[in-house]
Amino acid sequence: MDRENEFEKRVSRRRFFNVAGWTGLCAFLGSSGAAAARFFYPKVLYEPASTFNAGKPEEYPAPTGNEQAVVDERWKKSQRVWMVRNREGIYAVVAVCTHLGCTPNWFPTEVRFKCPCHGSNFNPDGEVIAGPAPEPLFRAKIELAPDGSMIVTTGLLGIRRANLQAQKKTLGVFWTEEEKEIIWKPPYFLQLKA
Amino acid sequence: MAANFDNRDDVSFVPSFCKKIAEYIKNTDIWKSIFRVGYPDTMPKRMAVMRSSFYMHLFPTKVGIHGMKLKYSWCMGGITFFLFLALTITGVLLMFYYVPEEHRAFDDMKDLRYVVPFGVILRNMHRWGAHGMVFTVILHMIRVFYTGSYKPPRQFNWTVGVLLLLLTLLLSFTGYLLPWDQLGFWAVTVGTNMASATPFLGYEGPFSKYLGIAIDNDIRFALIGGTRIGPNALIRAYVWHCVGLPLIATALMVFHFWRIRKDGFSGPM
Repeated sequence: MDRENEFEKRVSRRRFFNVAGWTGLCAFLGSSGAAAARFFYPKVLYEPASTFNAGKPEEYPAPTGNEQAVVDERWKKSQRVWMVRNREGIYAVVAVCTHLGCTPNWFPTEVRFKCPCHGSNFNPDGEVIAGPAPEPLFRAKIELAPDGSMIVTTGLLGIRRANLQAQKKTLGVFWTEEEKEIIWKPPYFLQLKA
Repeated sequence: MAANFDNRDDVSFVPSFCKKIAEYIKNTDIWKSIFRVGYPDTMPKRMAVMRSSFYMHLFPTKVGIHGMKLKYSWCMGGITFFLFLALTITGVLLMFYYVPEEHRAFDDMKDLRYVVPFGVILRNMHRWGAHGMVFTVILHMIRVFYTGSYKPPRQFNWTVGVLLLLLTLLLSFTGYLLPWDQLGFWAVTVGTNMASATPFLGYEGPFSKYLGIAIDNDIRFALIGGTRIGPNALIRAYVWHCVGLPLIATALMVFHFWRIRKDGFSGPM
């Protein structure tokens, strides 16, 4: 009898419903909040494809005279990519400024890409030569299709849930000393005969 | 004999049948149920008006003379609230024509400017009102700072005010994208890319790589509903701009004004 009373004291009806009620309410609000947060992350995206066929390498003329490289702008509007032909081969530069994501413009007379938003400048390799951009312009992968045309991969979505380093690898930002080697090799650089 | 100006019936040019109609209307139950207190000619009646009317109860029954001084308050909070009301009304009207869809948004905005009757004045009222609200809310903040009105017991209302400033800026930012023109598009590209540098939550921010945060699961992704500014970003900006943020702002404003009532107007310098 005494023990029962003691139990009653410790866990009275009022206390039981108080704790149960607040626990239930917190669980409900917490799970609703979590569901609401998850709701804002779509599972399916209807964004443009991240690969495109850039045609055959022969369509891109090699530099002549003193030119360092020829920057081809035909894919800039639709794919946000410049195909750049230098003396050794061809590579694809992603036209997204590494500062805050605006689209730089190519100025052939000044031989540089210039971003209109905050004034970052890049040379035809994509290296930063002025302005606030923290990294060189990204390179897109170039792979050869069986018919000899170039398949360019620009997107980030092939690599879901990867960390930034992995994303950078897909895009080809290899500008540490060891990485500098890699951007001039396939798949980020397509060697062509002179 | 001195004229008795207190007796309103003495000096009157209103025909007597009008007075009779007015008298009749004032005696109806409808009138009396809306206007509970008679003509407020005494102090208790004046206070009763303030207490018993829904609209008037937003104001204090008594205000110190210093609280009325434009020189002191600049009426900046009031002007900000007025602009918020004007923006709500013009914004709701704009919603009748504007569709936040990739292929329509820009054209709808152009239609509002050139085709819709009075569309251009509505759009401009909304645009300039928005610029004005940012301006007046900052002036209001400056005034509260310089008069020391943020000090106890009003320190919590200052915090609410800071949240309202933030909401005003967010409303401006989300509204910027809606015309779907080059200016707004790149401004929002830049602005949301900044969010990707958030510590822990942004994919370019510090420490985020330890949490497995990438471009398609970071805070920017939740804001724009994708990896780039596109149709999802447009509809999200629209819903936050027209529904979400105004609701939050309204709730905070109700609290802000109630708090002013409770704390009273701050004294003169």
